Amino acid sequence: MSADLERTPRNLLVSERSSFLDQKNRISSQLDQLHFNYKVCVLLPECSSAPSHLDSALNTFSSFYLIRKLPLYELLDTHFLETVRQGGVSGLSYRTRLDEDNCVALMPNGRLSLSLDKDSFELLGVEGKPSRFNHRTKSRFVVCVDLTDSSMAPGGRGYQRLVTGLTSRLPLKTDFLMSLPAGGGASVQALLSRYDWSEHRPEVSRCSLTDLLCPAPLTSDPSAPLTSDPHRLLEWLGAVHAAVSCENSSSSFLSSLVCPEPNKKLSHALRVSVCGLLSHQDVQKLIQEIRVYLSVSPPGSASWASVTLHGFVDSPVSWGGEEHGVLRGGDNFLSLMMFPDQSYLLHLAAGAHDTCPP
Amino acid sequence: MSVFMDLNVNYTADTSRLQSLIETAAHLGFSTVAINYVFEPTVKKKQEIPAPTAISKVMDPLPIVQGRSRPIRVLNRLTIVMSDASHFRPTAVEYRCFDLLAVQPTTEKLFHAACMIYDVDIICISVTEKLPFFFKRAPVNGAIERGLVFEVSYSAAIRDSTRRRYTIANAVCLMETCKGKSVILSSAAEKPLDLRGPYDITNLGLLFGLSDGEAKEAVSSTCRSVVLHAETRKTASGIIYTVKSCTDWPPADCEAPAAKRARPQLTQ
Repeated sequence: MSADLERTPRNLLVSERSSFLDQKNRISSQLDQLHFNYKVCVLLPECSSAPSHLDSALNTFSSFYLIRKLPLYELLDTHFLETVRQGGVSGLSYRTRLDEDNCVALMPNGRLSLSLDKDSFELLGVEGKPSRFNHRTKSRFVVCVDLTDSSMAPGGRGYQRLVTGLTSRLPLKTDFLMSLPAGGGASVQALLSRYDWSEHRPEVSRCSLTDLLCPAPLTSDPSAPLTSDPHRLLEWLGAVHAAVSCENSSSSFLSSLVCPEPNKKLSHALRVSVCGLLSHQDVQKLIQEIRVYLSVSPPGSASWASVTLHGFVDSPVSWGGEEHGVLRGGDNFLSLMMFPDQSYLLHLAAGAHDTCPP
Repeated sequence: MSVFMDLNVNYTADTSRLQSLIETAAHLGFSTVAINYVFEPTVKKKQEIPAPTAISKVMDPLPIVQGRSRPIRVLNRLTIVMSDASHFRPTAVEYRCFDLLAVQPTTEKLFHAACMIYDVDIICISVTEKLPFFFKRAPVNGAIERGLVFEVSYSAAIRDSTRRRYTIANAVCLMETCKGKSVILSSAAEKPLDLRGPYDITNLGLLFGLSDGEAKEAVSSTCRSVVLHAETRKTASGIIYTVKSCTDWPPADCEAPAAKRARPQLTQ
């Protein structure tokens, strides 16, 4: 039993080393696979304030809507379905816990995924599968519906069954976060006007750090000691973003995390984080701007930059639209470390109840 | 998985302490708590089973569970600490006002009887002393088949180091016999500081020998099945059985020997 206690919960980490200049790099498709992004954290060493083009990229993240107590049958409304068929609409239920409540996700390709507990699934009466992460008893079920399919056209059998289920048998109402493609606001005005909704911009917070210990040398060289141990690197990066002190002083029992050896002290660093329902286009644009920043900065100052993209913990789908679950934590994130020679080191991580990242 | 529940929160006569206990439980993320009235019959004087106070008198409105939009659900539970077979009376009327019924047997014979015969929902494993008996596979499996669960409470472990040893020893002993099935973990909290969050209790389950999935079930799905078992136990107190009565009597002057007339079946 003691050997079991030393193990932390299972997690999956896929590391990849490549370059933006390489034709065959999959970075943009990998970024697209993480559908629902909650937070992007950027760490720029030797930088005290963000350059202007980076600032403008950070401030122009597109906004998203929060609709309170949206009944789910509204997602099957004829007008809304037209907008969904054009693509780009994504939505997620807000303040629902994946291991306790019923959660809903609408992916940009038109797939609606409902993660329901046993009673709700039995009440709804629509075809679904037991969750892959059920332990002994089947207590969680997943209903996956493709809204662009012909059987889900209004009047189709599948559509009728789902609509009757959501209106009479299981009238689910959740708070819903929705992000629309550019210019899509007009088409859902009818839907929004019926409920209490608000528009939000992603929240940006900047923090300038001084005297930060950072592992060195950080290069994309595969034989460098640190890049061959991604867990320690990611642990240090996480500690910096979570503002956890890495000093491990003898008088403090809060954290015993340390910066991996060998390390050097940075005089300045900039830590920026953006929270909200973030869209892929904004994240790709931000990465482009950081690449530009790295290539024009004088050599010796910025030798790397890191971007970490966190997915929602309570979203029913994660990597590639596959099912996601929460055992003790539902972390799914992507960490990109970029270097001035346009090469990068990519880590894709998933928790215990998850499929392997692509 | 289902919602997180803590099925053992000790009752105190001090209303404000009970209120802060329920508020802390809702803040930590528990969607259901059960207020536990412990009844320990002694030989010396006749004691009465305490009657549960209505929840609306304790706290109204109930606090909302953190992170969700529903208020916390509060149930009533009775635990009978048994040192003799006469302490549990199966047909007692007082048991009906409680939602959950638990026994804490102190001898092997009582444990066997509780597992196989008694109509209860939860069997508590004592944490304040080293168990005087060993768990045998047969009664434990019998209890699991009947839908009973075994409960390990952890707040004694927080308060005292000797009880921490006993809790872990007894719990590990239980897990070896029942293989991690049908176990619930709950606090026996007397003050709000004794409560811990559901994910922390999942980690505590690992210390007791449960696996990751089993430990999480011990705080969620197994508790849900206990509450459902209690509901069915309360409602299945009688079965109505009606049969159409035969209205044609045999003629009086027939040759057949006198036989008992078929009585119309009464409702039972």
